[in-house]
Amino acid sequence: MTDVVTLRDLHKSFGPLKVLDGISLTARAGETIAIIGASGSGKSTMLRCIPLLEVPERGDITIGDETIRMNTARGGRAPADSAQVNRLRGQLGFVFQSFNLWAHMTVLENVIEAPVHVHKRPRNEVVDEAMALLEKVGLAEKCEAYPAHLSGGQQQRAAIARALAMRPKALLFDEPTSALDPELVGEVLGVIKGLAEEGRTMLIVTHEMGFAAEVASRAIFLHAGRIEEEGSPRQIFAEPTSDRTRQFIRRYLERA
Amino acid sequence: MDLAFLGETLLRLASAIPTTLELAFVSVSIGLALALLLALLRASSVIGAACVRAYVFVFRGSPLLVQIFLIYYGLGQFDAVRESFLWPFLRRPWWCAILALALNTAAYGSEIIRGGLAAVPAGSIEAGRVAGMSRFTLYRRIVLPLALRQALPAYGSEIIIMVKSTSLASIITITELTGTARQIVSDSFRAIEVFVCAGLIYLAINFVLTRAVLLLERTLTPHARGVPR
Repeated sequence: MTDVVTLRDLHKSFGPLKVLDGISLTARAGETIAIIGASGSGKSTMLRCIPLLEVPERGDITIGDETIRMNTARGGRAPADSAQVNRLRGQLGFVFQSFNLWAHMTVLENVIEAPVHVHKRPRNEVVDEAMALLEKVGLAEKCEAYPAHLSGGQQQRAAIARALAMRPKALLFDEPTSALDPELVGEVLGVIKGLAEEGRTMLIVTHEMGFAAEVASRAIFLHAGRIEEEGSPRQIFAEPTSDRTRQFIRRYLERA
Repeated sequence: MDLAFLGETLLRLASAIPTTLELAFVSVSIGLALALLLALLRASSVIGAACVRAYVFVFRGSPLLVQIFLIYYGLGQFDAVRESFLWPFLRRPWWCAILALALNTAAYGSEIIRGGLAAVPAGSIEAGRVAGMSRFTLYRRIVLPLALRQALPAYGSEIIIMVKSTSLASIITITELTGTARQIVSDSFRAIEVFVCAGLIYLAINFVLTRAVLLLERTLTPHARGVPR
C-alpha cells in the first residue's frame, strides 16, 4: 500500500507547554485512522501540523512522496517554499470542529471555491462535481442557501462536501462532531462512515469512541504529546496494553 | 412666504448640485482606494502600521478646514511644489479641495476598514489557507469580501459625512451648494430662506444615498437576513 501521509518525529511547543513530543505516523492509502486521547494530549495539534496550520519545531511531514521543505531562521522554523505548501494543502481536505464555512458564499459557492480559484479547474465541470458531492452528503436542495441559514449538522456536511471537492489524497477531520447538538451528531457521523466504506484515506480526531471503534481500521491513543498505544480498534478498546489507555477507556465507559 | 423667491433660489441652488456631487464622488473614490491601501499597509508590518497610525492621527486629529487652508494657501509657498508637475493641479482650488477631502476621508475610511478586517473570523481565514490559497487569493476571495461587507454600514455614514464636508470647499472659492447659497444671501440678504433651501437639498441627497447604501447592503449580505431554516 502506498503511504499518503507520513509524519516523522514531530515536536511542537506553545511557549513552555510541550504539545507534541516526537510523533511519527504513517497513513496508508485506504486507511481510516481514529486518533483518540484526553484534551490536551496533542491530537488536534498533530492533525493541524499535516497541512502546516501549525509549524512543528522539529520533524518532517510528507504528503504522497513529497516532503515539505523547511527553513530554520532566527525567528523560528518556517516553510521554505510557500508555493509548495499551498500545492500540498490543495491535495488534502480538512474538516474543522467549527465548520468554518465562508459566510458570504452559498453552500455551492463554498464547495466550488477552492477547485475553481486554487486548482484553476473549469467552473462548469466543478459545479457538476460539487452538486454530486452535495447529493452524497444529502444537501443538494440546500445548494443555494447561505451557511447562516443551515443547522450545525448541515453546515458540517457542507464542509465535508467542500473538503471532498479538493479531490483529496487524504481527509483530515478535527473533532467534526464536537460542536454539534447531540441530535445532529448522527447525520455527520453517517456521512463520514460512508466515506470510510468507500475506502478513502482518513485521519479522524474524535471523542466519539463508539464511532471510532466501528469505523476505524486503526486507532491511535495519544498521551502527553506521544503515541501511547496503537493498534486495531478492537485491541485498543477491548485489550489495551498500556495502563493509561486502559484508564482513559474505562473513564470513557463510566461516563457513557 | 415669497414662493417666487423660493422657487428661484431652489433653481439656482440646483445648478450647484453637480459640483457638490462631483466633489463628493471624486474625493470618496480616491479616499476609498487610499483607505484600502492604508488598512492593508497597517496589517502588513510593524513599520507600516506605525506610518498609518501617524497618518490617521494627523488627518483625523486636525480640522478638515485647517487641512483645506494648509493645502490651498500653504503648498504654493514652496518652490518645489510650484515647479513640480503637480502645480497645474494644486494651483486650482478644485483639486486642493479634492486632495484635502480625499486625504481626510482616507484616514477615517482606513479605520473603518481596519474594523472590518478585525471582524473577519479566524476560522474563515484558516479554511482558506488550508485549501491552499495564496495570500493574494485569500485576501481577494475571502478576507476583503468579508471585511468590506462588515465595514459597509459604517462606510455609508462616512460617505454622508463627506457629502456634507464638501460645503467647506466654498471657503476656497468653489461655488458648490453652500458657496452658491452664500452668493444668493449676499445678493438678497435673506439668509433663512436660502440656507433652509440648501439644507433641504443636502437632506435630499443624503436620503437617496442612505437608501442606496442600504440597498447595496441587502444585495451583498443576503446571509445576514433572517431567513427561516
